[in-house]
Amino acid sequence: MTTYKFLPDVDRCIKCGGCEVACKQTNHVPYGMRRIRVVTVNEGKPGEMNVPMTCMHCGDAPCIKACPREAISKREDGIVLVDKDKCIGCGYCAYACPFGAPQFEKTGVFSSKGKMDKCTYCVEPYHQKDEHGKRITREPNPRCAAFCATKALLAGDAEEISAIYRQRAAMRLQRGEIPGA
Amino acid sequence: MAIELESTFSDVKMSRRTFAKATAALGAVAALGSGYASATEFTNKLIETAEAAPAPTVKMVKTICSHCAVGCGALGRVEDGELVRMEPWTDHPINAGGMCSKGGSIAEMVNSERRLKYPVKKTGGKWVRISWDEALTEIANKLKDVRSKYGPDSVMWMGSAKMTNEECYLFRKFAAFWGTNNVDHQARICHSTTVAGLANTWGFGAQTNNVNDLRHTKCFFFCGSNAAEAHPCSMQHILEAKDRGAKIVVADPRFTRTAGKADLFVRFRPGTTISLLMGICNVIVNNNWHDKTFINNRTIGFEDFWEVCKDLTPEVVEDITWAPADKIRQIARILYENKPSTVVWAMGQTQHTVGTNNIHMSAILNLILGHAAQSGGGCQPFRGHDNVQGATDMCILSHSLPSYYGLSEKAWRHWCGVWGVDYDWMLSRFENKELMGKNGFTVARWYEGVIKPESEIDQPHNLKVVFVWGHSLNSITEMKKMKEAMEKIDLIVSVDPHSTIATSLADRPDGIIALPASTVFEKEGTCTTTGRQFQWRFKVVEPKYDSRPDMEIMLELANKLGFSAEFTKNFSQYPEDVLREMNNGMRVIGMIGQTPERIKRQMENSATFTNRDTLRAEGGPCKGEYWGLPWPCWTDTHCGTPILYDSSKPVSDGGHDFRAKWGTAVPENKYNKHVGDSLLRADNPVAQSGYAYDMTGAAIDEYLAAGNPPTGRAKARIWAWNLPDPVPIPREPIESPRPDLIDKYPTYDDAPKFYRVMTEYKTFQQARRNLVDRYPIILTTGRQVEHMGGGAETRSCPYLVELQPEMYVEINPALAADIGVKHWDMVWVETLRGRCKVRAYVTERVNEKTAFMPYHWAGIFEGESYADRYPEGTAEMALGDSCNIICVDGYDRTTQMQETKACLCKVYKA
Repeated sequence: MTTYKFLPDVDRCIKCGGCEVACKQTNHVPYGMRRIRVVTVNEGKPGEMNVPMTCMHCGDAPCIKACPREAISKREDGIVLVDKDKCIGCGYCAYACPFGAPQFEKTGVFSSKGKMDKCTYCVEPYHQKDEHGKRITREPNPRCAAFCATKALLAGDAEEISAIYRQRAAMRLQRGEIPGA
Repeated sequence: MAIELESTFSDVKMSRRTFAKATAALGAVAALGSGYASATEFTNKLIETAEAAPAPTVKMVKTICSHCAVGCGALGRVEDGELVRMEPWTDHPINAGGMCSKGGSIAEMVNSERRLKYPVKKTGGKWVRISWDEALTEIANKLKDVRSKYGPDSVMWMGSAKMTNEECYLFRKFAAFWGTNNVDHQARICHSTTVAGLANTWGFGAQTNNVNDLRHTKCFFFCGSNAAEAHPCSMQHILEAKDRGAKIVVADPRFTRTAGKADLFVRFRPGTTISLLMGICNVIVNNNWHDKTFINNRTIGFEDFWEVCKDLTPEVVEDITWAPADKIRQIARILYENKPSTVVWAMGQTQHTVGTNNIHMSAILNLILGHAAQSGGGCQPFRGHDNVQGATDMCILSHSLPSYYGLSEKAWRHWCGVWGVDYDWMLSRFENKELMGKNGFTVARWYEGVIKPESEIDQPHNLKVVFVWGHSLNSITEMKKMKEAMEKIDLIVSVDPHSTIATSLADRPDGIIALPASTVFEKEGTCTTTGRQFQWRFKVVEPKYDSRPDMEIMLELANKLGFSAEFTKNFSQYPEDVLREMNNGMRVIGMIGQTPERIKRQMENSATFTNRDTLRAEGGPCKGEYWGLPWPCWTDTHCGTPILYDSSKPVSDGGHDFRAKWGTAVPENKYNKHVGDSLLRADNPVAQSGYAYDMTGAAIDEYLAAGNPPTGRAKARIWAWNLPDPVPIPREPIESPRPDLIDKYPTYDDAPKFYRVMTEYKTFQQARRNLVDRYPIILTTGRQVEHMGGGAETRSCPYLVELQPEMYVEINPALAADIGVKHWDMVWVETLRGRCKVRAYVTERVNEKTAFMPYHWAGIFEGESYADRYPEGTAEMALGDSCNIICVDGYDRTTQMQETKACLCKVYKA
C-alpha cells in the first residue's frame, strides 16, 4: 500500500519559490493564501537554511485530533484532507500543527478566520467543488516537488523517497572537512 | 479521448505505472544522476491524465523558459487553445522538470491583463489606440524623413536578448540594411566584458562548459555570481556535485543565498576583484602549486603576469579588499587541492570599469592551475537572459556583424555574399564608408547621442529616433540623462509585450508609439543557453490580444521602408530559412551544423538523452549528438562541442583547442615584448584554417580529417597586447572609499570618441577623491530570484509580486541603528546622481559599509510615481524606484559596460 509523504532536503533548497508558484497555479490558491512557503532561518549568516514548509501529511496527524468538527480526515494513502463544508474556522488545527500548515482566508462567513485550507497533495484545488457541487478529486501529483528546481523537495511513496534521501546522505558522509577551515 | 498530440511530442506510449514510482524517480534523477526513464513516464502520465479529462481539447507543448539562460524546458498545458498552466518537462536533460518561481509562472505572464494589447500612440497628452498599419506607416514615414535630413545614423536600434535567434539575426541584418551601426542590445550591459575578456584570452567569449558538466567539478569558485537567485536550476547540478564531494567557495561583497551553500565564504570590497584574484594567484605560485607543463605548452605571458602578481601578497590584498589574508590562503589551497576547479561569475565581475580585466584575471587563475579546457574545469560566465548568448552570437552589437566578424570591409563583403546583395548597394545604404566601419553608439550610452551637442559626438548628427525593441531601460545607468534624452528626441518607438518605462519615463505629450510584441510562447524559433546549446521553442498558443511576433513587425517595416526584396531574398519558410541563412554565414563560431531539422529532432527525442552527466545521446535517432549541438558544430553531421578547448577528445567527438585567432607569432607591439614568439601550442602547433570565409566548407573538412579543430591549436594569452591592460592590474573604482589607494591604483585616462562619445575616467575619479567623507557607504546592486531584468513581466505577475512585493535596500543592522531606521521603514538612498525612496531591509547579508539594491524596479522615479503615464491598464502591479537612477557614471574601458556594482552613497530616513 502506497503511503504518500514529503521529504524536504534542506541542504538543497535555495528558496527560489518554484514550489510556491507551482502550487498556486495548479490549485488556484488565491493571493495571500500559501499552501507551501519556504522559510529561511539564520538569514544572511553562516548556517543559513531554507525550509519548505507545508502540510507533512503526518502519520498521526495532530490536526485530526484537535478538530472539534471532525472536518479533517486521512485517506488510506496517507493524504490528509479538510472538508470545507464541515470546517468552522476555529483554528485549533493551527495550534496543533507543528508546521504552521493550516491557512485561513480572511473573508467569508467566519470573517476573521474563514475556512481552513492547506496542502492536499494536489488532490483537491482551493475550491473543492466543481460547478455541479461535486467534490473534485485528482491524481496525487504534487507539482511543488515536480517543479522543484534543485530536487530538494521529494514527494512520493514514503519508502522510495527515503531511499533517495539515504543515497544522498551516504554521499554526503564522504565529504571531508576543509583543511584549515 | 480529446487530446491533440503536437508533433512536438514523440507519441511513445509507455506502460502506466503508479505516480509514486514516477515522482520518486524525479528525486532519483537528482540523487543518482542517471537513468530517468521513469520520469518520462511521469510526463506521459500527465498526457494520459489530459487524455482522460472530458470536455476540453488538451495539448502539451514543449517550450523553453524565457527568463535566465540555463535553458530549462517546460510543457505548456493548452486547453481549448488557451495556455492554462505550465507542467514539468521531466525528461528535459538540463532541468528534469525543475522550475523556479519565474519559470513556473510563465502562463500568468502570457495571459497577463497588464500586457499592452494593441498599438498605441501618445498624442495631445493622451494615449490613443491606432491600427498596426497606421502605426507602421507613421514610423516608416518618420524614418524616411530623418534619413533624408540627418542620414541613417540618426536612428538608434536597441534590440533584445528576449527574441529568438532568428529574430535577433534579422534585427542585426535590419540595421545593416537601414545603413547604421547604431544597433545594440542588453549584452552590452550584461556580459560584453566577458566576451572581450575571454575571447582575448583563448579565442571565444562564451561559457566554456555547460551547467550539466558542472557535475564533474571538484571545486566551485563563485566570484561575482549569486547563482542560487540568478540561475536557480543550475544549482541542481552544482548541489549534486557538492553531494558528490565538490567544495564550494563563494567570494562576494554580500552573504548571498549561494554563500549559504558554501564551504567557505569570503567577503570582499566591491570593485576589488582583480586584487583578490591576484592574491590567490600569488599564494598558488609561491607554493609552487601552478601547473608548469600546462603553462609552458598552452599559454603565453605568464612571466609578465607574475611581474604584477608577485607584489600582491595576501597581506597587501587584505588591505585593499577587506578579505583576510588567511582566508585568501585558504581559497588558494582549496582550489589547488580540488582539481578541476571552475570559476563562476555573472554581473558581479562584468559590470565594472575594469570588467574586461576581471574576466581576463579569472581566466588566468583557471589557466595557471591547469584547470582550464576540461570537463569540470574552465570558466562559467552564467548568462542572464534566456537568449542573450544567442543575441550576442547574432551580434546585435554596435561593433560587429553576426558571428563576431567585426565591421571590416572583408566582413561586410562576407555578409553581403551571404545575404545575396551587392557590396556597393550595401555601402549606398550608409552615410559613408567610414561610418560603415565605425563602432556605433551602445545601449549603455546611447542617450549621449541625443543630448550632447553635435560637435561632441563622433557622427554627423544627433539621434532623432530611438527604437526600444524588447529592452528595459531601467537596466541602464544614468537614468536622469536618459530621461532628458527621451524628452528631447523626436520619436520613441517601443516594441514589447508590456508597455515598460519606455512609455512612461519621458514627460512629454506626444512622440511615443508603443507596439505590442508577442511573447516567445506565441511564436517559434531557437534560443541558445548559457552553455551554447540550441533549443527549439514550439508555438504554445497563437498571439494573444492584437500582438504580433517581432519577426512579422520587422518584415512589415522593411516592406514599408522599401528594402523588403533584398532583405528577404533567401527566405520562403519562416523561421527555418532564416536559421539556414545563419548556418550558411555564421562560420566563425561554427554555427553550421545546427539545422532546424536537427534541433527539432532533439527536442522531440529529449527522452533519449539519458546521460545527464555527458548530455550525449547514447542511442536513438540522435545517437552521438550532444544536447543542443553546442557551437562550434562544424558540419551537419558533427556532434557539437560541449566543452570549449578540451583537447582530450578527437574533434569529431566534440574535442577542441585554444583558438589561433591572432596568427602564429606575436606581432610588433607597443610594449616591444615577445615579438616573434610562437602563439601556437608548444606540444602540438596548428595554425587556424581559413574556415571563416570559406563558403565551400573545404577548409573545415580538411582540418577535421586531420583531427584538428579548424580554429587551430594555440596558446591562451595571459598577456594580451591589444587590451588596455595587457595583464590585469588593480584599479580603484571611479568612486573609491579609499582615497589613499587612488594614486597607487588609478583608473584609466579619459577616453575620447569611445563608441562615438567622450567617456571620462580620471577626471571623475580625481574630482571625487574625497567623496567618501560625504557618501560613506558603498552601493552595490543585483538580482532577486522572483524578478527578471527590468521586471515589466514579473512585476505584473500576482504570484511573483506576492513573493516579492516592494523595492528595498539591504542595510546592516549596525547602519540601521546609526541612522535610526527599523526594518521596512522608508529610507532615501542618495548618490551624486540623485536619490531613491525605498524600504530598508535590515539584514546581515551586507556589512556595515555596504548597501545593496535589486535592479528590477521602475515606475517610481526619485519617490514620484509614474503610474499614470503608462497607457491605460498597463502599469505593472508592483512599482518601485530604480537603482539605476543613482548608480555611477563609469564604464568598462574595452566594451563600455556600465559600472553598477561599486559607487558611494548615503542612506537616511525618509
